[in-house]
Amino acid sequence: MKVAYSYLQEQFSDPEPIFAEMRKLIQRGDFTLGGALTEFEQKFAVHCGASYAIGVGTGTDALFLSLKAMGIGAGDEVITCPCTFVATVGAIVQSGARPVFVDATEQFVIDPDKIEAAITPRTKAIMPVHYTGQPCDMPKITAIAKRNGLRIVEDACQSIGGEVDGKRVGSWGDAAGFSLHPLKNLNVWGDGGVITTNSTELRDRLHLLRNHGMKNRDEVELYGYNCRLDTLQAIIGLWLFPQADAITESRIATANRFDTELGKLKEIRVPPRNANMRHAYHLYMVHAERRDELVEFLVGKGVDAKVHYPIPMHLQEASAYLGHKAGDFPITEAHAVSIFTLPVHQHMTEEQKQYCTDMVKAFYKS
Amino acid sequence: MNVPVKYIDLPAQSRSLRAELLAAVARVLDSGEFILGSHVERFEKRFAALSDCKHALGVANGTDAIVMAFKALGVGPGDEVITAANSFLATAAAIALVGAKTVFVDVREDYNIDPDLIEEAITERTKAILPVHLTGKPADMNPILEIARAHKLHVIEDAAQAVGAKYHGKAVGSFGAVGCFSLHPLKNLNACGDAGVMTTDDDSLREKLKKMRNHGLKNRDESEFWGFNSRLDSLQAALLNVKFDHLDEWTDTRRKTADYYREHLQDLVKCPSDQPHEHSVYHTFVIQAEPRDELQKFLLDAGVETKVHYPIPIHLQPAARELGYRLGDLPVTERLSRTILSLPIYPELSSEQKETVVAVIKSFYKR
Repeated sequence: MKVAYSYLQEQFSDPEPIFAEMRKLIQRGDFTLGGALTEFEQKFAVHCGASYAIGVGTGTDALFLSLKAMGIGAGDEVITCPCTFVATVGAIVQSGARPVFVDATEQFVIDPDKIEAAITPRTKAIMPVHYTGQPCDMPKITAIAKRNGLRIVEDACQSIGGEVDGKRVGSWGDAAGFSLHPLKNLNVWGDGGVITTNSTELRDRLHLLRNHGMKNRDEVELYGYNCRLDTLQAIIGLWLFPQADAITESRIATANRFDTELGKLKEIRVPPRNANMRHAYHLYMVHAERRDELVEFLVGKGVDAKVHYPIPMHLQEASAYLGHKAGDFPITEAHAVSIFTLPVHQHMTEEQKQYCTDMVKAFYKS
Repeated sequence: MNVPVKYIDLPAQSRSLRAELLAAVARVLDSGEFILGSHVERFEKRFAALSDCKHALGVANGTDAIVMAFKALGVGPGDEVITAANSFLATAAAIALVGAKTVFVDVREDYNIDPDLIEEAITERTKAILPVHLTGKPADMNPILEIARAHKLHVIEDAAQAVGAKYHGKAVGSFGAVGCFSLHPLKNLNACGDAGVMTTDDDSLREKLKKMRNHGLKNRDESEFWGFNSRLDSLQAALLNVKFDHLDEWTDTRRKTADYYREHLQDLVKCPSDQPHEHSVYHTFVIQAEPRDELQKFLLDAGVETKVHYPIPIHLQPAARELGYRLGDLPVTERLSRTILSLPIYPELSSEQKETVVAVIKSFYKR
């Protein structure tokens, strides 16, 4: 049996409604910052419980522009977690700021109890990553930020629909960055990103920053970027929106089933789950003994198991200038050799789900 | 008989291509390749050939192309970059965004940077020259390259408006270290959204830029340096591949319309002209006319839309305040900003529409 990581073929098996909207768009020609984008932004803000949403080029850009809009740049420090995708750090570095890492918890997200020790006079912001769809401990992080006068940019690229105490991710920080990359839970047909914020001031700055800093066709208030979510992509996002909650619920159900089944194995360690949080399960990630052998076995059996990711951010070649060494972030480093992910998407059949856990069990029995 | 003439008419272009464009979208969906992959590679190959370059790399937009070119060449804080002030502001923005300082040099009557004024603008901090092939007309590259060589400066071409333009028979984008193109919906070769492409002959620069547009990743798991996420969407690449087939024909039509305008208007207004060694692609057809604002209003009242590219030169924009330029610093640029007017020149213009443009301008000057 094949259990693929990508589900695009199933997801868009009937593209006609999308094509119909595209046909209209091609007739209208409002390809940049068009009507469909505005509609998408409104729906996105509501979905995240935030006041505003701003469509941008990518999730990376969403994080980067949020920092820029707050005036964060050279000479500043931004605290984040080394257990993430490279884009988190890339966004901080491209803003000119220095990334300062804080180790993760057993749940692959920043350990709030270690944040304050990393704060220096140069610290301007915390960028908690709701990695794998696991929300960070936002009440604690918000309190730390308040106490220390820091901004919060949530990296919510993997966590649309996630919640802490019933409050959605993307509504906790000063701003949050989401990705609409084709492999994300709410996905489009190319690169795309969204920023959410409750601040009208940040919204206004972000509107300028994503569109060349132009306040009108001829006048430039500040030097900005060209970083807009294509209207074409917004059409796909709009089509998908009615399914957004069902997608999250389906992933949660599959993950719960995996937790139960895999939790029976002594070789698998399921990270702690929180009763007060809604995990968006962009990734289903747990710890495994003999991880590399397991992944190889699963791939051989047709299950698209992966490792997200084998090299923590502080040990990347790109981080050499930060002067870190192995041992600096022991939990993240320990995770890097034990974590693996199983497909958890909403188009998996009962048989495929069963097959995934059966194959993990088969590996350890052999 | 006058007919309405819009300044741009994207639906007119799309009408004839709609079926082909939607078929391309369906192909991308079927391929499941939404990020990089074969559609982007095919486009890059074709674009490199068009631009007389070894390599082309699709990126998110034209601004990012310039920003990444600077980053790859190590142009940043403390450095100065020489460019023109009559361009779209993204040119100067890209310089500011990498932390470098923009030094503006005045332009010639043909709207492109005046090479004779470049040397006096060079300081010990100058790192690069960013000539703009404005309106689709090539900048005077030979003297620019000579100056760059003598002073060991990088040349990055802002070819955002000049896809397919040639200078002494060689395509723009192939003269500098990197050529930066925009494929925005209003450009000659246009995507259905934001898109850009960069060209280079330098293998190692290409490798660096290729990583830079994709998070600095050298493989799935390893980042060599912290990069950007700035990729040309496969979807847009597939749409561009459809349009690529028509580009030569569109450029010919633009050039013919330019000839037509010149033939009928050159006694009344100053028209742009090609030197024998230039092959302009007329992204815009910019005349110099007085009194410009009255003419523009007269045209609009007669149903003819025109634009001014651009009424406020970059050095006088609020965003450029800290550079300290004043009115009078770039006299040609400033004078042109008061007299220039862009006439409609898209390939789908009908003969009646072109005749209308000419007739209305003629009647304005006959009043």
